[in-house]
Amino acid sequence: MWWEKKGQTSTEPQRPRAPSPPLHPPVRIEMAEPIPAAVPETSSPRTENPMNENLMKSPNTSSSSAHQTLLGGSVVLRGELSADEDLVIDGQFDGSINLKDHTLSVGQHGKVKADITARQVVVGGVVEGKISAKDKIEIRKTGHVVGDLLSAGVAIEEGAYFKGSIEIQRDDIKATSRSAASLSA
Amino acid sequence: MRGSGQETSAGLAPSPPVIAASQGLSWLWQHLREVTQPHILDCSAISPTTLNILLDRKAKLFVADLLSVSLDAEAKLWDRTQKIPVFKTADFISYFPDVPSGSLSAILSWNLLDLLPESARLPVTEKLFSFLQPLGVVFSILREPNLKSGVGRRWWLQSQTQVHVEQDQKRTFPYPPISNREIEKLAPGGNVKIFLTRSGRREILSIKG
Repeated sequence: MWWEKKGQTSTEPQRPRAPSPPLHPPVRIEMAEPIPAAVPETSSPRTENPMNENLMKSPNTSSSSAHQTLLGGSVVLRGELSADEDLVIDGQFDGSINLKDHTLSVGQHGKVKADITARQVVVGGVVEGKISAKDKIEIRKTGHVVGDLLSAGVAIEEGAYFKGSIEIQRDDIKATSRSAASLSA
Repeated sequence: MRGSGQETSAGLAPSPPVIAASQGLSWLWQHLREVTQPHILDCSAISPTTLNILLDRKAKLFVADLLSVSLDAEAKLWDRTQKIPVFKTADFISYFPDVPSGSLSAILSWNLLDLLPESARLPVTEKLFSFLQPLGVVFSILREPNLKSGVGRRWWLQSQTQVHVEQDQKRTFPYPPISNREIEKLAPGGNVKIFLTRSGRREILSIKG
């Protein structure tokens, strides 16, 4: 129940789906807390996406991202997480996250303490750790990030909190250590 | 050394929040012109425009909002259990980000030293200088003695040589001003450049020898 798949609600039309590998084969999860009691399907409608709408509508969302996994607000996880699809965290996660060519979104209620590798990372909640994103890192105004950012692009909204370092990974920047030599020369 | 800061004497509203052009920053960028990727620490809250300007300059940027920490220091950083209140300088320094020693080309410290008690100024300056590589620069904007209120809470770049400040118009400065002689004593090696402005503040560049 705490791994909810977007697009599987009864209101969505059923689309033919090609056979797919197991949903989360690379995920190794160590539970930090007992799993919360399952919520009956008939309970009051729960928002699939409790995050800010804008947060979810990242401009560069991968077209290859047919799947998106949501870790809901009541989820507390600890461990190594890798996936081949986009991931939205609105709960708590502690460990490391590797999404390769996909997008990680941390919702306003999300709390993540992890080193993160992804194609794109959007933070509306709290993140502590190193973030490495091939394309872009965005920190929204509700975001609170402590750590080091490494990406081809970084955007931070007015009002966001950030403490740490920011380094842009460009082809034309080969070695950061050269700067020390050139200044003291 | 007096500047035209007399225009903003005590009792009058502080100057507008825009400093049209910063001679100090012009000097700084000229000083760093041959540095391919300057490593820079910004001691104010992160600003999108500062971020873009510094990243366009291909800088590696370190950020820690030390100004807010010092402005909100009363509860966290003052020990008033003793007869004489003690500012917990070591606790303040713990708010610095993890910066490799001797790695920075420049530090934008803004008005940080204006917001610290005298007892903390030297250890904090020493800490800042420990981050600098040789010929690295600490850029400060400190008040003139006649500027009594208008504490800057947040500073950001509008361009490489234009500075904006968000200030509390009525908030008075908590500590005595720092004289130019004190600034020279605080800077190891004493290599200091001071630019006067019309805002009642001095732009100061302290260069590590």
